[in-house]
Amino acid sequence: MVENLVLGIGVTALAGALATVAGAAEDTESDIGSQGDPNSQVQLAPQMGYIHRIYNKAISGEPPAYGLWCALGAGIAWALMAINLNAILALIVGAAIAVFVQGVYATTAYLGRTASLAKFEQPVYIDILKSVTTVTMAHAFVAIFTTISMCYLMVAALGHPFPLPLLGLVWGIALGAAGSATGNPFYGKERQYQEQKFGAGVPISASGNIVRYAEAGQRSSLDNGWFTSKLAGPASGICFGLIVFFELWRTVLFESFAAGWGAVIAGVVIILIFTVIDRYVETWARNTFGPYAEAPAEAEEAAS
Amino acid sequence: MSALGGAAAGGEGINPTASVIGIVVLLIALGITFFIASTGGTIALIGIIIGGALIGFGVHFVPVGGAPAAMGQAPGIATGVAMLAAGAGLAGLFGGAWAAELGFAVALGAGAVGGGLMMAITCLMVNVIYVFGMGIPSASGKVDKDPITGDTFPQYKSQGTEGHGLPFISYVGGVIGGTLGGLGGTLIYLELLGVYEAALPILYNVPLEEVLPVAVSLAGIFAVGMFLINAVLTAYNITGTIEGPHDPKFKRFPRAVIAAAVASGVCGMVAIMVVAL
Repeated sequence: MVENLVLGIGVTALAGALATVAGAAEDTESDIGSQGDPNSQVQLAPQMGYIHRIYNKAISGEPPAYGLWCALGAGIAWALMAINLNAILALIVGAAIAVFVQGVYATTAYLGRTASLAKFEQPVYIDILKSVTTVTMAHAFVAIFTTISMCYLMVAALGHPFPLPLLGLVWGIALGAAGSATGNPFYGKERQYQEQKFGAGVPISASGNIVRYAEAGQRSSLDNGWFTSKLAGPASGICFGLIVFFELWRTVLFESFAAGWGAVIAGVVIILIFTVIDRYVETWARNTFGPYAEAPAEAEEAAS
Repeated sequence: MSALGGAAAGGEGINPTASVIGIVVLLIALGITFFIASTGGTIALIGIIIGGALIGFGVHFVPVGGAPAAMGQAPGIATGVAMLAAGAGLAGLFGGAWAAELGFAVALGAGAVGGGLMMAITCLMVNVIYVFGMGIPSASGKVDKDPITGDTFPQYKSQGTEGHGLPFISYVGGVIGGTLGGLGGTLIYLELLGVYEAALPILYNVPLEEVLPVAVSLAGIFAVGMFLINAVLTAYNITGTIEGPHDPKFKRFPRAVIAAAVASGVCGMVAIMVVAL
């Protein structure tokens, strides 16, 4: 019993760590490839007269794209394990084949999206295709491999009833959702609109005027990966890592209490704790940053 | 009038003709299921319909800002409605399926809490990025005052934007949305699992243990599929972005609940017919 519990907690910690790496790699991959919502500005910029050298592969949201790649990787690994291939090797081969699909997706997406901007005189840069695609593939490999390894742990060590490919789909979609939710604002506001004032949203009138030049020459999408990996990537990693860790932890540790209700109660308590933390962060920001403008009543008093 | 001169699309109200047609389709699906799979199948289908309606209702709570939120131009989470809801609901389904052997009520509770937990952590990290990474406080664009905390927003909106971040009401909405999504997804899964566990051993003439992985896989795949159908359907009802329960668009939910119930009824009928025919 105790041995099982200790094993469960160890597996939970390992799965949480894998999820953290997956989240960080996923967000960095999507920022380099510009697959999240901020890509609307990359697509918009040439239409406003701003020609750029930013990658452009947002033909699908991150959640369904990662759902596909992780389900594919997990499915191939599952099939290879069924013919008695070593589990680690099967996971690597599964992730590698899924990454080739990601590479094809990225190439066709960049060519298609950029070619659609031809009438706005946006060129298709072949050197970008050569240099950036492989970098997104490398990051995608890390994200897919860690996610399907985590899924394998859930099946093999924790006994989840879902088959590996289905878990790959479920957690791939959740990975994309967590990564895009957390990482997108930092890539969109802080990187693409780096010239705008810090501490404020981008005025709607500035839409399309993304930063296109770097310290030397034109900005590359690789620079965006360097920038977002400082905060958006790790934050996405923490987000997905916490989701996976607490989802497993509450079940492994508390499911034996109160005929299964222990895990539910633990989950509710964790949600309440995160709610309190969120409220603290919100009030801290209001008190520390203060309002942008005086409240209308205060402004009137000041004027009189 | 739209820009093209046609009638304006969308709106708040329920289209009576479409609703009546939808309800007729729903009743036909229930009738066919009763004819093919008798009372057990019909009860399962009713559970599936309730699960689908819960998903449709829950998605309206999730604060989604899409592309404008990624530039701090609008409040909400910077991703798509359907995808975020799917991420949360499927995380809930993971927990619910894991707890399925502990009983119906516990599994539903585990599913609901799993979805809520995913959204609680995601919404917190969104605010962390906005506050500590971008130096931007939360401000709603749809209401001047937070209905829960009473915080005022107009002076906390930066110039030229509709607001940004996740105010507390949106955070709470996100958690409720995730909870309802997880609950609905798990309900669909459990109902289908019950049908397959009863039908597959008879169909293949083998003990339940031998076909249990097939039953779990089939129920899981159909539950994921139906979750995505209901989430996407609801996203069309929302059209773009929504801040949460305080957003005027939230009032559109009855339309999505009817649509989700009809879609779930038809899809559920097909899922039951896989083993009943």
